[in-house]
Amino acid sequence: MSAETIETNQFAAMQKRLQTLTKVMTTQAPLALTAKETVWTLNKAKLYHYIPQVPKEQRHPVPLLLVFALMNRPYILDLRPGASFVEYMVKQGYDVYLLDWGVPGIEDKNLKFDDYTLEYMPRAIRKMKAVSGCEEFSLLGWCIGAILTSIYASLRPDDGLRNLILLTAPLDFSRKEELTFARWTDEKYFDVEKVLATFGNMPAEMIDYGAKALKPVENYVSNYLRLWDNLENPLVVESWHAMNTWVTDNIPLAGGAFRQLIVDLYRNDRLMKGELMIRGERVDLGRLRANLLAIIAESDHITPPCQTEPAVAKIGSADKEIYRVPGGHIGIMAGSGAAKRTWPHLDEWLAQRSK
Amino acid sequence: MSEEQGGKKVDPTEQLLAMREAYMNVWAKSMGEMVNTEAYAQQSGAVLDAFLTVSQPFKASLEKAMVNALQQLSMPTRPDFVSLAERLTNLEMRLDDMDGKLDRIERATAKVTTSAAPARPKAASPAKPNRARPAKKKARRGTK
Repeated sequence: MSAETIETNQFAAMQKRLQTLTKVMTTQAPLALTAKETVWTLNKAKLYHYIPQVPKEQRHPVPLLLVFALMNRPYILDLRPGASFVEYMVKQGYDVYLLDWGVPGIEDKNLKFDDYTLEYMPRAIRKMKAVSGCEEFSLLGWCIGAILTSIYASLRPDDGLRNLILLTAPLDFSRKEELTFARWTDEKYFDVEKVLATFGNMPAEMIDYGAKALKPVENYVSNYLRLWDNLENPLVVESWHAMNTWVTDNIPLAGGAFRQLIVDLYRNDRLMKGELMIRGERVDLGRLRANLLAIIAESDHITPPCQTEPAVAKIGSADKEIYRVPGGHIGIMAGSGAAKRTWPHLDEWLAQRSK
Repeated sequence: MSEEQGGKKVDPTEQLLAMREAYMNVWAKSMGEMVNTEAYAQQSGAVLDAFLTVSQPFKASLEKAMVNALQQLSMPTRPDFVSLAERLTNLEMRLDDMDGKLDRIERATAKVTTSAAPARPKAASPAKPNRARPAKKKARRGTK
């Protein structure tokens, strides 16, 4: 092969790499494609019902409601065909619902955990019960969604909740030396009121920076090097594109809820101390009676295992299990290993309790 | 691009990648430790505080000026929209409460209809339709 041909081939290959790079950096991947219908809305919140894909006789009768964090889009649970937890669960015969909190506007700056757990969740659950025709249900909460579901399950233990799944649940804030967020948001350095007086809600950009700054090299350098190294591998590029679309699609956190997260939880650990008050009711994790599965990501830098394990011990359920998975905060549910480890275990555990 | 070295093929690109990986790991570890220090928390807090100290009064005065200008032009302002949005959410909640009540009524009616259903085949005899009536009345009572 002549030197000129080699040069031309190299130029064409480089051009193709640059085209792929431009595409994944400047476009949004098609996500959240599992067929669904909207069955309920309130303010910005929506309840989606995923269309069943298996015959009725093969379906589990108890519906499953997914509740994700407040400051990220919930479609991480339905990322892309073949790599979607929702799609997997629908195919396993579950009647799946997803509560999307929506994007809070300035008019929602006073929304608190109180509103989310005692106004929005009970209404969405009521609608889910009406649509599914089943009085019992399972609940899956992830990250801050796990805080909300734990609060709800503790305050309303007789509402028909049969199974509770907590994913990377930040419930215990006592070991401050292991929590970088707790250090950053300490009252010595961080003025919550000043932030909220300026912005109303906690801006999405600040939340995004906070999450990425926990692992700056991985998020700002290694992540892009990984893409560059694999630009000729369509599988890696597709997966990277989907994840990048989700990671860059941030939403603000309602001011009231952010204040509670920082003051009540990060600074004062009120949930574990049994001092957290929601609309005048004390949240007692000991009152929670649903069957419990707590999934912990062993390399989670956002919610380290020490935030979940002690809380599980406090929860009053008779049937409880902790399942540890190798991986990070998001990777255990949306990474390449999720379909091999987390999802099958979750399905196995839930299937036995959804008859 | 590989070279023979002691009978073994050596790929310089792979060696460079391995070196880069090792360097990245060390860098990531040291940066991870650095952001988890009191000094970093203090510095980032100070930067944020300086930003807020400068931007808050500017933002507040800009908002005030905008409200005044819009009011002079008889145009709705942001607080007007916020209050409207809050009222709409309250209305939505009322509607949702009503929807909940309707669901309960539907369920109660369905229960009554189901419990009254076995009486239907017997309705062929002339005396029995009367028996079915109380059930219908019950259903009506349930809807109130």
